[in-house]
Amino acid sequence: MDLTVEKLAKMIDHTVLKPETTTAKIKQLCEEATIYNFAAVCINPVHVPYAVELLQDTSVKVCAVIGFPLGATTPEVKSCETKDVVHAGAHEVDMVINIGALRDENYDLVKRDIESVIDASGDAHVKVILETGFLTDDQKRKACLICKEAGADFVKTSTGFGPMGATPHDVRLMRETVGPDMGVKAAGGIKTFKDAVRLIDAGADRLGTSSGVAIVEDFRWAQYSDSWMVPDKPCWTCPSRMANMAKQPKEVYKWYKERCLTCPDKEHNIFND
Amino acid sequence: MSKSSLYADAPILHVYLHDKSIRRESLPPDLYEHYLGGRGLGVKLLFDNLAPGTDALSPDNLLVFAVGPSTGTSVPTAGRFVVITKSPTTGTIFDSHAGGYFGAQLRRAGFAAVVLHGKSDNPVYLWINDDEVEVRDASKLWGRDVFTTSDELLEATDAKAQVACIGPAGENLGLMAAIMTDKHRAAGRGGVGAVMGSKNLKAIVAKGSGEVGVHDQERLKAAVERARRLIKKNAVTDKSLPMYGTPVLVSVANELGMLPTHNFQEGTFNDAEGVSGEKLLERFSAGTYHCHGCPIGCGRISLIKGEKVGGPEYESLWALGPQCGINDLEWIAIANDRCNHLGLDTISTGSTIGAAMELVEKGKLDAPLKFGDTTGVLDLIDDIAYLRGLGAEMSEGSMRLAERYGAPELAMQVKGLELPAYDPRGAQGHALGYATSNRGGCHLRSYLIGPEVLGSPVLVDRDRPEGKADLVKLYQDLSAAMDCMVVCRFTNFAWTVDDYAEMVSAGTGFELSGHDLLRLGARIYNLERLFNLREGFTAEDDTLPQRFFKPLPEGGSRNRVVHLNQMLKEYYELRGWDKKGRPTEDTLSKLDIPVS
Repeated sequence: MDLTVEKLAKMIDHTVLKPETTTAKIKQLCEEATIYNFAAVCINPVHVPYAVELLQDTSVKVCAVIGFPLGATTPEVKSCETKDVVHAGAHEVDMVINIGALRDENYDLVKRDIESVIDASGDAHVKVILETGFLTDDQKRKACLICKEAGADFVKTSTGFGPMGATPHDVRLMRETVGPDMGVKAAGGIKTFKDAVRLIDAGADRLGTSSGVAIVEDFRWAQYSDSWMVPDKPCWTCPSRMANMAKQPKEVYKWYKERCLTCPDKEHNIFND
Repeated sequence: MSKSSLYADAPILHVYLHDKSIRRESLPPDLYEHYLGGRGLGVKLLFDNLAPGTDALSPDNLLVFAVGPSTGTSVPTAGRFVVITKSPTTGTIFDSHAGGYFGAQLRRAGFAAVVLHGKSDNPVYLWINDDEVEVRDASKLWGRDVFTTSDELLEATDAKAQVACIGPAGENLGLMAAIMTDKHRAAGRGGVGAVMGSKNLKAIVAKGSGEVGVHDQERLKAAVERARRLIKKNAVTDKSLPMYGTPVLVSVANELGMLPTHNFQEGTFNDAEGVSGEKLLERFSAGTYHCHGCPIGCGRISLIKGEKVGGPEYESLWALGPQCGINDLEWIAIANDRCNHLGLDTISTGSTIGAAMELVEKGKLDAPLKFGDTTGVLDLIDDIAYLRGLGAEMSEGSMRLAERYGAPELAMQVKGLELPAYDPRGAQGHALGYATSNRGGCHLRSYLIGPEVLGSPVLVDRDRPEGKADLVKLYQDLSAAMDCMVVCRFTNFAWTVDDYAEMVSAGTGFELSGHDLLRLGARIYNLERLFNLREGFTAEDDTLPQRFFKPLPEGGSRNRVVHLNQMLKEYYELRGWDKKGRPTEDTLSKLDIPVS
């Protein structure tokens, strides 16, 4: 796509989800979202009423996270939480999938969990966070299909609190699985316009990031050189490189690392770059 | 000066030291439009007025102190000044910059630049007090160090004035002599202090009470508000630099195996943690230093043995520390302070000491010098400034020292200027920047450490030569344009090309796009190149010490070499230069540089 600063900004959910977030930070977030005309602010439920008030005369939407960041609560609680934020004026909700149920192959529970949020969301769009760092590729595909069947609007890669953030590999896989009519949101670890452009090229149409201002501002550099986007070592953006046994289930970690053994870019896998 | 004077209306002050006469020249509109101010103004003046082959330490050399259209305005960091001259160290055209407060005072006094001609019979200083300009006797100051000189000059003139002066190193024409301001800020590189000393000019003292005008106050206000907001949003300018100062780079460079150690024989210093920015903060921090109009405040003030001293900043800390294998942070701060008192460039001084240590290590030089050993080094620094014994030989820099002892390959320099604190094997683009710098071994012509190491604005693969020529050209041209505004390089972390262009447009009334600003920078870069070619430099000078074509044995940059030829070919093509590194007529024509 012919990406401009304005188009890029309109793909960004300007995000602050840290537990220590103050009202002043929410005010700053909303002001920046207004200045840059971001798609939405993505915040914890407790801040929704204030953000709705601040953004009432703008085109910036308010997005609240549900069952965040673990996704391990019940469908009933997620439903209740959704009703609450939608009642407070949220236009979008980003829910965390039941990761454990997915890994248990308890797909009925996974689907019911998502449907409970969709049913409670009214006109609000629902994005489902898969937390890809806990999943193998087959599990990611299955999760995408369940989200689609349940009627979610978007699938989303990560919370930013899990084992890894968004990678082009995962976004590509998710886009291929859900097709062109459903949204794919990349989130977690997106800090530069290069990250953003790569993920958009891979199929993302929404980006969740706390670095929205820097991404949009620095994107102005893109017009002065094509060299920013010269390919880096392939390992830099590969989820297998980011795999971390301390943060992932052992078998998931092993699955990621075994991919390296048969990877055609194996010779680039050096660790002093 | 008249109230709210515009830069366009600010005269160039010509001072003829041989007869102490003074002339004011209006800023030529054509020069202003094509070269803006600061570095560009100085480069154009030197190109047009300095005969090829002029001895840099002869009275015929010109010494230009320039400020720019942003100086003294609300543009953040715009209180700096630039010194342009032919360098006695490199033989190239040279621009050397300093922060502090002197630049803003010079601009508020109403001047765009001061051009020093000739040589005075006796030591003098120049006292600029708004419109009043006076060449005064400085015989009693000759021989004084930088700190005493500064104090005595402020007492003799006005406590609110600002001083730019030389110390003993400059008086004795040492090729590593700096021009110092506010005692510990330095226009350090290229031996510009020796040029000042060769003119018997001890100092310039400036005080201005006027207001600095801009073309469109409201537009500039909006641009500056945005610029300040961007500085606050950037992690480097709002967190790393204010918290740790430039020494934050010690740990970063060491981790990547790019912290030159033992005269660039290694890229990892085992005791890096002990000389890191974090350790400086924990052990010696006594405050920070902000230059005029700077919201960043990267300058360090350290408490050493009960006394507050300036710095040490990253480059100085490295040169007097890991480059010489020295891990004593307190000693490094003392050595840095000693250099400031004497008016010595800390990078070249430390690097030359490191080269001497390797000469000793390799059996080429017999001297009581050893990597890691501080014994006698403070005395040696004194000897360098006063040209005594081995210090006299070292005062000429590492290139001449190593040649003298039959091992030129041990001087880590480009075009005679010592390289700064990044091993080029660890960052290909930065290596190309060193090789093609118009003023010799310099990290500030094209600071590709930003994208290659710090990820600013985005991280690019530091090992790949592909695409680096393009980025080096971009950064060289932008840096040249920034040096015409005269603003700090660190703004580059937070602002884009468009921000600089907007501030120039608002300040001057020239409607410049980002691309126009880069073209202006390219014009300056090419004119500097023409100057150097005229002085006899060739494509063969666009190179690096042989050491960098052999791999580092260990550390985060192990097994890397610089792929210079590949990048250089592409760079010449992008610049519109022929295979011999000469700008083609077509290139000069496109840049509005008259073809002679």
